Amino acid sequence: MLSTISTNTAPPMPLDIKSRAGKYLIFHLGEEEFGTEVLKVREIMGLQDITVIPQVPEYVKGVINLRGKVIPVIDLRLKFDMPPHPYSERTCVVVMRTQNEDEDLLVGMIVDGVVEVLNLASSDIEETPDFGPGVETPYLTGIAKVKGKVKILLDVDHVLNSNELNGLTALLQ
Amino acid sequence: MPEVSENELTASMNDLLDQLSTRLIIDGVCTLAPADFVHIANDAAGMGLAGFHNIAQQIAADIAGTPADAIPELTRIISSGLVELRRQLDEPSPSSDIAPPASAATSLDSHQETASQAHGGHSLAADEGLIREFLTESTEHLCTIESQLLVLEHDATSADTLNGIFRAFHTVKGLSGFLEFTELQSLAHEVETLLDQARNLVIAVTPAIVDIILESTDVARYELDCIAQRLSGKDALPSRVTPELLQRIRQAVLSQPASEPVASAPVVIDAASAKPLVTQAPPVASSPVAEPVPAAALEVPVHEQAAPVQSAPQERRGADTSSVRIDTGKLDQLMDMVGEMVIAQTLIQHSPLLDSSKDPMLQRNLTQLARITADVQGIATSMRMIPIGMQFQKTARLVRDLARRAGKQITFEAVGEETELDKTIAEQLADPLLHMVRNSVDHGIETPEERIALGKEPTARIRVSAYHNSGQVVVEISDDGRGLNRQKILAKARQNGLVQEGSELSDAEVFQLIFEPGFSTAEKITDTSGRGVGMDVVRKHVQKLRGRIDIQSTAGVGTTFHIRLPLTLAIIDGLVLMVGEQRYIAPIFAIREVFRPTPDILSTVHGKGEMVMVRGGLLPIIRLHRSFGIEPRSTSLTEGSLIVTESEGRSFCLFVDELVGKQEVVIKSLGRRFKDVAGIAGCAILGDGRVGLILDIDGIHKGRS
Repeated sequence: MLSTISTNTAPPMPLDIKSRAGKYLIFHLGEEEFGTEVLKVREIMGLQDITVIPQVPEYVKGVINLRGKVIPVIDLRLKFDMPPHPYSERTCVVVMRTQNEDEDLLVGMIVDGVVEVLNLASSDIEETPDFGPGVETPYLTGIAKVKGKVKILLDVDHVLNSNELNGLTALLQ
Repeated sequence: MPEVSENELTASMNDLLDQLSTRLIIDGVCTLAPADFVHIANDAAGMGLAGFHNIAQQIAADIAGTPADAIPELTRIISSGLVELRRQLDEPSPSSDIAPPASAATSLDSHQETASQAHGGHSLAADEGLIREFLTESTEHLCTIESQLLVLEHDATSADTLNGIFRAFHTVKGLSGFLEFTELQSLAHEVETLLDQARNLVIAVTPAIVDIILESTDVARYELDCIAQRLSGKDALPSRVTPELLQRIRQAVLSQPASEPVASAPVVIDAASAKPLVTQAPPVASSPVAEPVPAAALEVPVHEQAAPVQSAPQERRGADTSSVRIDTGKLDQLMDMVGEMVIAQTLIQHSPLLDSSKDPMLQRNLTQLARITADVQGIATSMRMIPIGMQFQKTARLVRDLARRAGKQITFEAVGEETELDKTIAEQLADPLLHMVRNSVDHGIETPEERIALGKEPTARIRVSAYHNSGQVVVEISDDGRGLNRQKILAKARQNGLVQEGSELSDAEVFQLIFEPGFSTAEKITDTSGRGVGMDVVRKHVQKLRGRIDIQSTAGVGTTFHIRLPLTLAIIDGLVLMVGEQRYIAPIFAIREVFRPTPDILSTVHGKGEMVMVRGGLLPIIRLHRSFGIEPRSTSLTEGSLIVTESEGRSFCLFVDELVGKQEVVIKSLGRRFKDVAGIAGCAILGDGRVGLILDIDGIHKGRS
């Protein structure tokens, strides 16, 4: 499913490693740790009641009220085709600011837990390795290794691209 | 004799143009095909109107050469084309008869050339902000000018009004000069000169003068559109400010004192005795007004002169209230935050901790906070409200133009212009309002001769009024024309199969029939020609605004349309209901009744389709939990509630788990990414801060499987 989607949208611009250096918010899904640029994080909040929207892909959990703004929430595990996991005390919603067609959108991502904020130097970041056919990595901007642990760096704009959600919504109808 | 028949020709061409512009406004630009223009071009050729024929052909070619989905482009071509065609009709007919096609074409070309020279290469991007401001400001000035002109026409002595118009033109001239829009500047300059003469009482304000100034405002508006076009990066359009137009404005000044010694003589004496001017304004139709105004300024055939339109005195105009322009985005944000504040305040107020507190000071402060929050909410809501007067002004202009063209005498009255309603509603009300007034003028109101024969005043009256009534805005459009003919409507309805033979209908029910789509095309209820656009479109517009429309009419006495609209589109009355753990909001206006079914009224068809017997009628049941694929608390119909509602005239029941209560909610959009979700119209934040989805009843009904 992911590969069909990625054909719809332009591949992420290859960024040079230098521009990828900076502060990252590290969160985890199961054992895997992911990083996203801190500048794009609007806030981190505990899980709250989500209003379910009918006829949307499973990973779109619904909408929440963020101080008067209604924003969509997606479950990142489901988005990445990882097995679902019951929500716990540590489960939280990372509200991201993303850009789409000159429009600022807020989107919440449900993650298993937030780990830390890391300052990554360009020397810490490597290109995404080629995993061979069958493993598509359209959302990755690179891989960082810090103290022997691997952090997967995400291109959030691409993950949360609203066109893709729109496209799916249309497909499902 | 030939003169008369020619006037008739012009009138019939005008009718055709009216039809086209109505279709443009109401049905949308896509419904107009090149063929429509080829058709009128051929008609014009048959009448020997060569210039008209050429322009119509040109428009047809332009439309054919534009992709059908380029809506703004098409709209521009057609609307500017229609203006051009109307001008052709208003030209003195002899000259257009003689004008060979070639010369018409070349004159167009030369305009194009001057325009492109003037605009050549100079880009607007540099001063974009400045120009945008100029555009809004000038548009406002033009609106003021238009409304003031109508006042002036009625009361030619009002120095304040004249000064107001003068100042507005002066400002436009100054601004356009500053920004180097030379065409607009020269136009404004000529009109300003004309007005200055009038101000100094050198010339009198005749309907002809008002005409030429109105025409100039139209052209000025078109120029502003062109500037907006250039600003958005499109090609410059040919300017409509032609030397010929400027010449005509100049001539209006020059020719008048000589040709109207009677009018100008007393005026020159002194300002205080300027009253005599008024006598010129309302001429009676039966005595052809001998206004010997020669020259190009006045080509309007005499029979069209007969209808002065008076605007009700508008005291409010003079008083400029100070205001600040605010981005609507900010207003929406403010609404969001205020909504949140109200929720936060409610949560605090209902905290159990506070209930046990005995501190009277705290209680008092909390009450104070509650009051302030409510006030702030009220103000925030009212900030989106604008007075309806702007729409009435447009209507006044339309009545004036139509009345002149149709040779009818009509007084236009506007009442309650200060009545406020939501900006969006006010704007979307414009089309139905214009359409209904047009209908009244065309069908409702008799010619002066007929009126005299009927023993009525020769001058008819159209009155639009607006007022607040029980939380709604009511807009009324009434005329004292011939009224609706019950018999004819019924006969027509029987013929169309809308009404069963022998069924008894009340007047209100009969009149509602004119809103049926079947009535639109060939209806001739009032004996004059049908317009091709039906009242069904008007009703659709009003319903889209969640309003309703009613008619009162007495044959021979007149017709009144009442439009009832909500004060704002931002808030609806909703019924909050639960399905499983989810809460939904059903708009109250869509709900007819709510009940808990008993087993004896439930039945199934083929073991699948579920029905319920309500007051002798069988209604299908749609289970909301199935439509939305969610887990209900109970699948047994007798343990939940049924909501009777309807979509497109068909009643049905929605099965839900539980009803929570009635609540006013602020409607929010779910955003672009969820806009395609069937059955959901939007969402709202409920009293506890959670999001509830607003049901789209039509969508649910369509999506039933």
